[in-house]
Amino acid sequence: MELFIIFLSAAIVNNFVLSYFLGICPFIGVSNKLTSAFSMGLATTFVLVLTAVVTWLINHLILMPAGLDYLQYVAFILVIASLVQFVEMFIKKTSQPLYRALGIYLPLITTNCAILGLALFMVLRDYSMMESIFFGLGAGVGFTLALTIMAGIREELELADVPKPFQGVPITLITAGILAMAFMGFSGLI
Amino acid sequence: MRTVIHMLATLLIIGAISGGLIAGIFDVAHPKIVQNAQRETERAIFVVHPEGKKQEKISGVAQEIYKVSDDKGNTVGYAMPCKGNGFQGVITLMMGVSADLKKITGISVIDQTETPGLGSEILNESFSGQFKTVNPEPEIFGKKGAKETDNDIVTITGATISSKAVVRIVNEGMAAMRKLKKEGKI
Amino acid sequence: MSKTQTRYSEVFMNGIWKQNPIFKQVLGTCPTLAVTVSVINGFAMGVATAFVLLFSSMIISLIKKLIPNQVRIAAYIVVIATFVTIVDIVMKAQFPDLSKALGPFIPLIIVNCIILGRAEAFASKNTVGRSILDALGMGAGFTLALLVIGGIREVLGSSKFLGTVILPATVEPMLIFILPAGAFLTLGILFGTANHFEEKKKAKEIQRAIDNQMGAKNVNVTAAETTETAEKEKEA
Repeated sequence: MELFIIFLSAAIVNNFVLSYFLGICPFIGVSNKLTSAFSMGLATTFVLVLTAVVTWLINHLILMPAGLDYLQYVAFILVIASLVQFVEMFIKKTSQPLYRALGIYLPLITTNCAILGLALFMVLRDYSMMESIFFGLGAGVGFTLALTIMAGIREELELADVPKPFQGVPITLITAGILAMAFMGFSGLI
Repeated sequence: MRTVIHMLATLLIIGAISGGLIAGIFDVAHPKIVQNAQRETERAIFVVHPEGKKQEKISGVAQEIYKVSDDKGNTVGYAMPCKGNGFQGVITLMMGVSADLKKITGISVIDQTETPGLGSEILNESFSGQFKTVNPEPEIFGKKGAKETDNDIVTITGATISSKAVVRIVNEGMAAMRKLKKEGKI
Repeated sequence: MSKTQTRYSEVFMNGIWKQNPIFKQVLGTCPTLAVTVSVINGFAMGVATAFVLLFSSMIISLIKKLIPNQVRIAAYIVVIATFVTIVDIVMKAQFPDLSKALGPFIPLIIVNCIILGRAEAFASKNTVGRSILDALGMGAGFTLALLVIGGIREVLGSSKFLGTVILPATVEPMLIFILPAGAFLTLGILFGTANHFEEKKKAKEIQRAIDNQMGAKNVNVTAAETTETAEKEKEA
C-alpha cells in the first residue's frame, strides 16, 4: 500500500514535470510529436528506475558508511552519466530496432534534471530500496504521461490560430500551466 | 591504449582535485553548519516553551528529547523534534509538552518543503497555534471546516494533506513520549 | 584597443538580452520555474547559478587543452558538480534560511543546461578572459530574468514584495501564481511579450532599411517582400 502511494504520488499527484518542474527541457523540446514523446518517456523511465537502484546502492553501501555524504552530488552525477552511456552501449549491442527508436534520446537524458532530482529526493526522504524503485517508476510514468499529453495537445495546437509572438515555447508553457492546474485536481487522491 | 590511459588519468586527477577541494571546504564549514542546526533547535525549544529558560538534552534514550526548566530550576516540560512525510517532502517540527504530558505547549515547524502558499501555511500561527489548546489524549484528529470536539484541529483549506501530516507527526511524537514516561526514562 | 573593448562588452551584453539564457535560449527553465515564488529566492538562485557558471567556465577554459575530447563532458560535469557542492556547503553554513528555501534545487544547478551549455559552446573554445565575461553576462541575464519572474509571482500571488505586504488587503492575492501552474503561466506570458517586442523592433529595422533603399535606384525585391510580410503582421 505504502509503495503504491509513493508510485501514485510521483506519477500523478506530485507529477515530476508539472509540480516539481523536473525534466522541463525535454518536455518543451521533444513534446511536438506523439511518437517521439512516448519513446523519450520510455527511455527516461528505464534510466530513472536504474538510477534509483544504483544510486541507492552507492549511497548506502559506499558514501554513508564512509561518511562521505558531502560527495553525493559529484558521485550521483558521475553515476548517472556513466549509466546512460552504458545503457546506450548495451542497447546498441543487443537490439538494433530499440536502439534506432531510443538511441538519439539517450544522450539527452544525462542533463535531464528529473534523473538527478530523483536521486536527491530519494536521499532527502530517506527511502528504502523498494520505495526508491517505486518512486523511480512513478516518476518515469509521470514524466511519460506529461510528455505524451503535451505532445497530443501540441499536435492539435499546430492547427490553432496562435498569435505570432506566442507561437512555439510561450504557448507550450501556457498549456503546461493549464495542465498543471488540471493535475492539481488529483491532490485529494492520496 | 595510450589515449585510454590518458583519458582515465585525466578523469582521475580531476576527480581527486575535486574530492580534495570539497573535503577541505566541508571541514571548514561543517562546525558552522552543526552550530546553525543547534541554534535553530534551541530557538525552536524556547518557542514551544515560552516560559522556559534552560534546556538540557536527556541522555540514555534513543530519541532526541530535551528537558526544559524555568529560571528557578523547575521542570516546565519536554521538547522533542519529530519528523514525518508531508505532501511533498519531510516535515520536521519541534513539539513542546507539559511535564505531565497532558498538554501541548506549542509546536514550531523547523523544516518543510510543502507547496508555497498552501501547504506552507502550516507555518502560520493560525494553524500551529491550535495545538496549544487541543486535548492530545487519546489522540488528535484533523477535521475539515470546524472543530467538533476538543481533540480536533481544523485543517487548512487546500492543504488537508499537509495539515493531517502535522497532526500525525504530533500524535506519533506524543505516543513516543508517553512510552518513555511509562518506562520511567523521562 | 577600443575595438577589442567593444568586443568584450558585446560578449558581456549578449547574455543579458540578445542571448538571454531563459528568454532566448530556453535553458535552465527547471530552476527558473521552481524557485521563483519570491524575489529573494529568485535572486539567491540566480547568484548561486552565476557563481557556479563563472568558476566552472573559468576552470574549463583554463584546462580545455588538457582534457581528451572523448571524456570532456564527464570532466566538465565533475568540475560543475564540485562548484555546486561548494555553493551548497557555503550556503548551509552562512545562509541557512535561504539554503532551506531553495532546498534540493541548489544541487540541481549541476544539470542546469546553461552551465554545461556555456562550457561546451563557449568556454571550451575561448580564452579565459572572454569566458569569464560570457559567464558574467549569462549569469546576470539569468539572475535578471529570475528577479522579474519572482517579482511578478510574489506580488500577484501573495501581495508582497521582498516579504513586505505592498498591495491593500482588498486585493485578494491570486494564489495560483505561487503554485506550479502559475509559474508556467507567468513564464509563458513573459516569453510571448518578449517575442512581441523583439518582433516589433525587427519590423522597424526592416522598415528603416527599406526606406533607405527606396531612395536608391533599385528596389530590392526580397526587401519589398519583407515589407509586405511586416505590414501584414502589423495589421494582424
